[in-house]
This record gives sequence, structure tokens and C-alpha cells, in this order.
Amino acid sequence: MIELLKYLRGYLRIRVWGFSPERFMNLCSNKGILIWNIVREGDVYYMNINLRGFWALRPIVRKTGTRVAVLERYGLPFFLPRLLKRKVFVMGLLLAAAFWIWSSLYIWNIEISGNYQITDDVFQSFLKENQVTVGMQKRDLDIEELEKEIRRRFSQITWASARLSGTKLLIDIKENDAPIVSPEKKETTGTDLVAEYGGRVVSMIVRSGVPKVAIGDEVEAGCVLVEGKVPIYNEDATVREYYYVDADADIVIEHRMEFTDSLPFDYVRKEYTGREKTRYFFRFGGQEWKMPEESPFLVYDSLIRESRPLLFEKLSIPIYTGSYTYREYVNVEHRYTDEEAKVLLNEKLMTFLANLQEKGVQIIEKDVKIGVDGQSWILYGDFLVQEKAGKSADTEKVETGVDTPGESDTDE
Amino acid sequence: MKKNRDRNQRKEQFVETLKLPKDICMGAMKVTLTGNSEAWIENYRGILEYTENQILLQGKTCQACFEGTRLAIDYYTNEDMKISGCITCIRYL
Repeated sequence: MIELLKYLRGYLRIRVWGFSPERFMNLCSNKGILIWNIVREGDVYYMNINLRGFWALRPIVRKTGTRVAVLERYGLPFFLPRLLKRKVFVMGLLLAAAFWIWSSLYIWNIEISGNYQITDDVFQSFLKENQVTVGMQKRDLDIEELEKEIRRRFSQITWASARLSGTKLLIDIKENDAPIVSPEKKETTGTDLVAEYGGRVVSMIVRSGVPKVAIGDEVEAGCVLVEGKVPIYNEDATVREYYYVDADADIVIEHRMEFTDSLPFDYVRKEYTGREKTRYFFRFGGQEWKMPEESPFLVYDSLIRESRPLLFEKLSIPIYTGSYTYREYVNVEHRYTDEEAKVLLNEKLMTFLANLQEKGVQIIEKDVKIGVDGQSWILYGDFLVQEKAGKSADTEKVETGVDTPGESDTDE
Repeated sequence: MKKNRDRNQRKEQFVETLKLPKDICMGAMKVTLTGNSEAWIENYRGILEYTENQILLQGKTCQACFEGTRLAIDYYTNEDMKISGCITCIRYL
């Protein structure tokens, strides 16, 4: 700190010689002139003295009969005038400072965090719609309004916070990860459970409604399994009224299921010729500059590589560099060999079985055949499966004397 | 001369009884040494002689002579000073 102060005020390295240099030093200290790094070499003394003290030396020098010579000058008072002579440098310095101040008025990076369901792309396009883009002026951004708009647009976002950190806009969101609970229906007009497919009922657990089939029964598609119409009887065993509920049950039906898939004998494969052309580009924000080039090949695909230099990433400057690599290819017709075809068809079958398993379908029997049909391979599978059944359908209404769904007196 | 010594003794006794700092009340030179390479001195009047091998200081009551090699003064103000170099001997005259 003291060194810095000395530098700011400026100091000199001087050489003192003559009649009484010791007295010179004593007088300096008496007058409050700071001297340091005093070294004697022969009859000559070398020391540092601050600039203000140097101007007050004349009477001391005269009194002590010494002579003083300046050897070197240090500090800002000597450096500044020299610096100011370099006009271009000073101008560059000022321009750099001005650019720095000017660029700090803009947003140069947008960072989104906390999004899992909403992808970055979706969020970026939302921001674009709301004119929140990289390169916009900070004063044009209404953070509170942006936060409100985020919550308005995405219902699954429960909390949103946007803040500016330097030239970076940080958006932090929190999505609702709890399952969305639909409001419970208070009054229902009643729904039945209907079989989607025909088969034999193997298991049945009814929670609400009246079961219309029993375990072991053969049912057809569209048949009512559980009725949402619960009858309330009079004392004489006649139906007084119906109480409508949403039928709810776990019913497993055993039925046959078929799976067919085909694979043509021939297919077209991309074969790269090995000829490639690379075209470099430079992107600043949304603006992109490419190396000019005509269409490179007749048939080609392109590979885009984009990177951002670490310096620009750290400084939040949206400068990207990268390249387009065009790779020429030709479409070549190929024919599957028997093994290839079997492997591919097996893969398809495995995917189908995995899908069934995901749905909770149990496979009891399976019979799979691979054959040839005209121009393609055919995979045919016949399965006996046990699958959960029952889709909701509105209950057929029956007019009775008292019709108050959901409300009924239960005296019998 | 004897009168002066008696006065000094009385003053010293007085300062010691009251536990006052001696360097201020008696005008004694205060020397702080760090090994044999640095000396920090307070309460002096001025430099009488300065060479590479010897620095003679005038105190309020006595003179102190620092002997050694490559002696240099790091800083010198009205209040304190710092001597650096290889100090071999300190003598009070």
C-alpha cells in the first residue's frame, strides 16, 4: 500500500555528495521529507526522495554544502505525460473503455436452469416470441413481466425467477414434479367398464359398480364388464331407483393376439464415396457468415460442428465458430441375406414383446413364424396373452320415479 | 556534575515508581533488533556519521554506534529509522 502511494505521488533516486551529507539527511528528516533506501558508496550517498520533498531541498542543500543530482524518476507523475504523448494508444484505451461500457448495456448470454420437462429449445423459442434475445438492450427487458409470462405460458412451472448478472440473463425455474391431480368429480352421471377385446375373464376385482361377468366367462369386444348403475331395491324386490357411479375394477382377460411385420428383400443403403468438403462459418448472435461456395455434390449429407471459444463463453459473448462438412454418398441397392433378415425381424419382435411387457401384458403362449411372401420377408406371431381390460363408457340411463344421481336414501 | 547525576537518579526512580515508559520520560533511545540484519531505532536526534561499516547516531542522552558491514538505511524520518545490513556490534558512547 505504501509502495503504491509512493508510486502515485512520484519519487526520485538521487545522488548526494559534498561537505556534510549526514546533516543533509538530518535536516531532511526534521523538515518531514521522507528519504529511504540510503546507501553509501565511497563519498557518495544514494537515496530515494519523494517528489514534494525534492522541491523543498534547495535551502537544505545550500545550508549543508552538498550537491544533489537526480539519477532516476519513478511514479505516475512521470509516467502520465509520457503516456499522453502516445495519442493512438490513449485513444485506443478510451475506445476500449467506451466499448466496454457500451457493451455492458446489452444482454450477451441467456442461461436457463431447472427445466426438465420443458426443453431448452422450447424455452428459447418462447423467449424469442417475447422478444427476449441475445443482444437486446437491458433496459428493454422487463424482468417481472417476463417471470409472469413464463408462469402464464407454462402451467407446469410453479416458480420462475429471472435475474441479470452482469451481461448474463439467468432464468431459474422450478417445475411441478408432483403428479397433476385432477379435481374430483362430485357428481357423476355414471360410467361402465367395457371390454376392448374378446376373450376369457381370468381375474376380476371390482371396487365400484355391478359386475356383469364372472371369472371363466367368455366375453366379446364391447361387452359390458362392470356396470356403473347400482340398483336400489324396494322391499318388494323391485328397483326403486339407480345410483350412478364410475365403475372401477381390475379385470384381466385372456385372449389371442396377432403380430405381423414385413421386411422387403431389397433396401437402399447410403455408401459414402469418401469425398468431403468443409465450409467454415462464423456466427455472432443470430447472424451467420459462411465461406461462399456452390452446391458441393449432387447427393450429400452435411455434418455441422459448432463450438464457442472458452474466452467468449466466459465473457458471455455470443460468438460461435464451426464448420459444415458435406459428405458425398451414393444410394446402393442391397439385398438382405437370410441371417440379416432373421436378425432384423427378431429385433422387431423383441421390441413388440418389450412393449407388451411394459404395458403389463403376460404372455402365456407364443407361436412365431418367419416366411417369404412375394417380395418380402414376413414375420407372423400368434400369442395367447393375459391383459388388463376395461375402458370407460357412459352408462345407459334408466328412467325411474326418483332420479337424483349421487344422492339416494338407502332404507330398504 | 554530581548534582546532575543525583537529579537523573531521582528522575529514574520516579519514572520507575510510576511505571511510566522510560523511552518517553527519560529520552532514552529505543533499539529493536531482528537478528543481526535489521535494527529499528526510535527516539534519536540525528545521524552523526554514516559509512558502510559504521553508523553513529546522536540520542537525547547518549550516542549509539552501529558497526557492521554493508550497512544501509532503509528509511529515515523524524520519528524512526531502520538500518539493515550485517550488524556486528552496538556501542553506546
